Amino acid sequence: MAAAANEPQSVILTINDIEIEVPRGELIVESVKRIGLEIPIFCYHSRMKPVGMCRMCLVDVGFKQPDGSVRMMPKPQAGCTLPADNNMVVYTDTEKVRRDRKGVLEFLLINHPLDCPICDRGGECPLQNNTIFYGPSTTRYVEIKRHLPKAFPLSKYVTLDLERCIQCGRCVRFTEEISGDSQLAFRFRGAMMQPSTFELTDFESRFSGNVIEICPVGALTSAEYRFRARPWDLQTKPSICLECSNGCNTWFDYRVASLVRINGRTNEAVNEEWTCDKGKFGQNYLNSPDRLTEVFVRDGDKLIESNWATAFQQVSVAFQSAGSKCAALVGGKASNEDIFMLKRLFTEAFGSNNLDHRWTRCLPKSDALYRVATSIADFENEPVIFVFGNNIAEEQPILFLRIRKAWFRNDAKVIVACPEACEADTFAHTSLRYRPGTEAVLLGAIHRAATGAGGVDIAEASSITGVGEEAIRRAADAMKSGFALAASRSLLDLRNGEHVVGALSNLTIACNSSEKYNLFATSANEEGARQIEFMPSAEGKNTREILEACASGEMKALWLLECDPLSLSHDNELVTKALETVEFLVVQNHIKSECVQFASVLLPACAFSEKDGTYTNLERRVQRIKPIIAAKGSAKPAWKSFGELLLRMKGDPPPFHAHEVMQLIAASHQKFQSAIYENLEGEGVVIPANQSTEPQAVDVEYTAMEVPSNTP
Amino acid sequence: MDVIQISDLRGRPRAPRPEEVNLNFSEKAVRELEQLLNHYPDKKSAILPCLWIAQREYGGYLPSEAIAEVALRLDRSYAEIEGVATFYTMYHVGHPTGKHLIEVCTCLSCHLCGAYRLADHIKSKLGIDWGETTPDGMFTIEEVECLDACDRAPVLQISDQYYGPVDDKTVDAILEKLKSETSPSTVRLADEIVQAQLHKRDQEKVSGN
Amino acid sequence: MITEVGKDVVLPILKGFLLTGKRLFRDKSTVMYPEQKRESYPRTRWRHVLARYENGLEKCIGCSLCAGACPARCIYVEAAENTNEERYSPGERYAMRYEINMLRCIFCGFCQEACPTGAIVLRSDFELADYQREDFVYTKEMLLEPMPVQSER
Repeated sequence: MAAAANEPQSVILTINDIEIEVPRGELIVESVKRIGLEIPIFCYHSRMKPVGMCRMCLVDVGFKQPDGSVRMMPKPQAGCTLPADNNMVVYTDTEKVRRDRKGVLEFLLINHPLDCPICDRGGECPLQNNTIFYGPSTTRYVEIKRHLPKAFPLSKYVTLDLERCIQCGRCVRFTEEISGDSQLAFRFRGAMMQPSTFELTDFESRFSGNVIEICPVGALTSAEYRFRARPWDLQTKPSICLECSNGCNTWFDYRVASLVRINGRTNEAVNEEWTCDKGKFGQNYLNSPDRLTEVFVRDGDKLIESNWATAFQQVSVAFQSAGSKCAALVGGKASNEDIFMLKRLFTEAFGSNNLDHRWTRCLPKSDALYRVATSIADFENEPVIFVFGNNIAEEQPILFLRIRKAWFRNDAKVIVACPEACEADTFAHTSLRYRPGTEAVLLGAIHRAATGAGGVDIAEASSITGVGEEAIRRAADAMKSGFALAASRSLLDLRNGEHVVGALSNLTIACNSSEKYNLFATSANEEGARQIEFMPSAEGKNTREILEACASGEMKALWLLECDPLSLSHDNELVTKALETVEFLVVQNHIKSECVQFASVLLPACAFSEKDGTYTNLERRVQRIKPIIAAKGSAKPAWKSFGELLLRMKGDPPPFHAHEVMQLIAASHQKFQSAIYENLEGEGVVIPANQSTEPQAVDVEYTAMEVPSNTP
Repeated sequence: MDVIQISDLRGRPRAPRPEEVNLNFSEKAVRELEQLLNHYPDKKSAILPCLWIAQREYGGYLPSEAIAEVALRLDRSYAEIEGVATFYTMYHVGHPTGKHLIEVCTCLSCHLCGAYRLADHIKSKLGIDWGETTPDGMFTIEEVECLDACDRAPVLQISDQYYGPVDDKTVDAILEKLKSETSPSTVRLADEIVQAQLHKRDQEKVSGN
Repeated sequence: MITEVGKDVVLPILKGFLLTGKRLFRDKSTVMYPEQKRESYPRTRWRHVLARYENGLEKCIGCSLCAGACPARCIYVEAAENTNEERYSPGERYAMRYEINMLRCIFCGFCQEACPTGAIVLRSDFELADYQREDFVYTKEMLLEPMPVQSER
């Protein structure tokens, strides 16, 4: 061991007579990229362990002998499994290597059907490309090819064409190493080897879309994209996903102004290159006929189509007469610019401070409870991670992948506390499955076990929560010397949410990990709204108070931006009453939602693919989106409509471009100064957290809460 | 080799949830598995012996319930266990075999000594083809690679027993004898393989001493 | 002066008339176009046709290679999947929409070259004039060959 520690961390080898220095243990297939060369590959994937299944990456390898001569290995070596070493001599383009590659490709093509014209992969297929660059021009194989079922629907999203499979194992390794569900495995052997699920049952994974992208042939194709376009028909622009708060980077492929498919875009700091199925297949609402494309105003019982001028007229009259008795609520898909301009409209033109973006049941005042300290990428190197609350794979799929990677690559201890079975259990150091409603008690018990004081008695907690004493102690043992917390703000939806979150905060303080406390946002730009402080100040009303005031008739006018309170709020009765009662309701959204029926004015907004703007993800990373397709109908970006309304009411010159709005944001919120548009190319910018004082322990009731049996 | 069928494209079944899997191992099998797990650093390594236990417990073949049970007992995914089981030809996945498994070696020595002629004789006598089972569930005939008994070519392996050299007459006699033997020799073979994996002290623990 | 005019003006005119006069008695090379049509060369490339197999199935599989090869970007293809009940072409895929904008087409024949099944062919119909710009977008129905007459067996 001591000798190994003294060895230099880099080695010098020669590739095609060029001497380069690379880190010890780097694979040849990666090293050659340093001198601008590429070795053809199929099975190798830089994020997964090498297996050397396809033999496409063969290179000629030799070693320099002490006498200065070079002794070549008699056979070519697979570049994807061979780590670089001192005195190594590699040739990537000799006659022998070229001949070997031809041979490998000829073998791969023995059973691969030549149905490229109808294959969805045709045009972006590594097998096609490698065959053209390195393969033989003809085949000597005249026998009948292997015949297997075509277009087998492996799941709702994934179609499996076994004839096309070249058995590289990328998909199998993905489910084993990255997503961790091990849903795919090779069945049978030899030429009949088939990647498939257990007895071809449904492929139930949250990340099944990724295997479509990593498949080097058309064996795994998307059921949604099937036959919809060829790669050369498509135009591709970078975008980001708004389905959850992770802010994954995506490629937005569109054809004739409609979305065709979403692919993952590499951003090492956020999603590496993966997407979840929600983000990859859940964006079809953009093409939906339910999109809101025209302005409507209420005339008696029905909404009639109108124009922006009429709508602005009605809105300005109604909101001005309401005075401070008006309010605005936003949902998670509004951009930073939208939120800022709406805030400006309300504070400057309407003189109201009844603004909120939070939809949880509990709305703690303390900013410290909402803090987020650890970035997504940092989770990879955390030795102990405490995942608390709802199923993280469902709420924050990409963060889940990072936490799994921390365990898979770096042996992190992951303690999972979740009331139901979840994916994270499969690699948990300790899995604490508590009864719903007993969150605070469990946290109290861990607190007591970790610090020996405070909290609640462990034995008592064990009987209340249904978690074994042993497990609580084991978890506390792992956590007491510090841990990173991964919990989401959906905990605040619990009836005692404030206490649960307070207990979490106390636990992190007790374990000296308060700088690793994270309570993550759950919707795309929730964190952005918090950073822009789209919240009531002292005299303003919060979400619940706004809805109550609307229901009692005290609030005269309400503006709903990109939100459907009926689906966001836990109290549908109150929401329905509020929407029915409020005199003037503006609904501004990119899609028709249920609350449209109550609206006085319906304003169409641009969806994310149609507007310029920025979104702030859960780690406060500000990322830019650019308009990709033209706005539908008379829809316009929400911030633009607020600017125009401000112009009407106050005569302020409106911003003409989103970057001007960002400058305004930066002028009023110091932390956004690094996020001006010039800086947002690439991975985006993480804005600093609020300067808060040292978090203080809060008083918490460690008691269980009755949960009606019908709600899990 | 099995080729999967597209029987129904819609309403496809999903893999059973862990709580839906019936655990059918006998107490003895569970104890055997416990002992076997001590031999290995992790549960993954015990897949092959555990599949043998399952093949014995489920009557000489591995139905999908058997694969699910093995997966559950070893904390692996169903697909992984199925992949292993379908890779090796001595595990019979999905289809029940007959009580006696006739394996005819057709490699070089046996071939030269008339293995195919012999196989044709057996096939016509039992009325089945390669890989098929007689309607009474007694015999399954399979073609296998070299059985490492070239000195006795042509050679048959019937479950755990080698027969060779054989001709039509001796084969008839063997089959006649086996017909009266109702306890399945395929299960016996699986049991022998399981026992061979266990040390003496393991066997003592299993039998409860 | 007069001789100069005669040489430079009158003489060429007379020469021209002489040539015309000579041609009057030769075979005519023009045809009376709408009524009469000249035979075209075998490899003439004019209006596109989507061919069918003898059994009536479309040759086009909707692969969009023609659209990819087209230098004028005048072809639009939208594919869909065949079912056993509704089968347009052999195999899995067929062209649900197939449109060629004849105003943009330069009749280069690259589409024909790119087609893996020989579905799109440029034939000799050259009378493509029309009155409305919209009418120059030829749809799949216009391009498809008529169903072959089923021969009695």
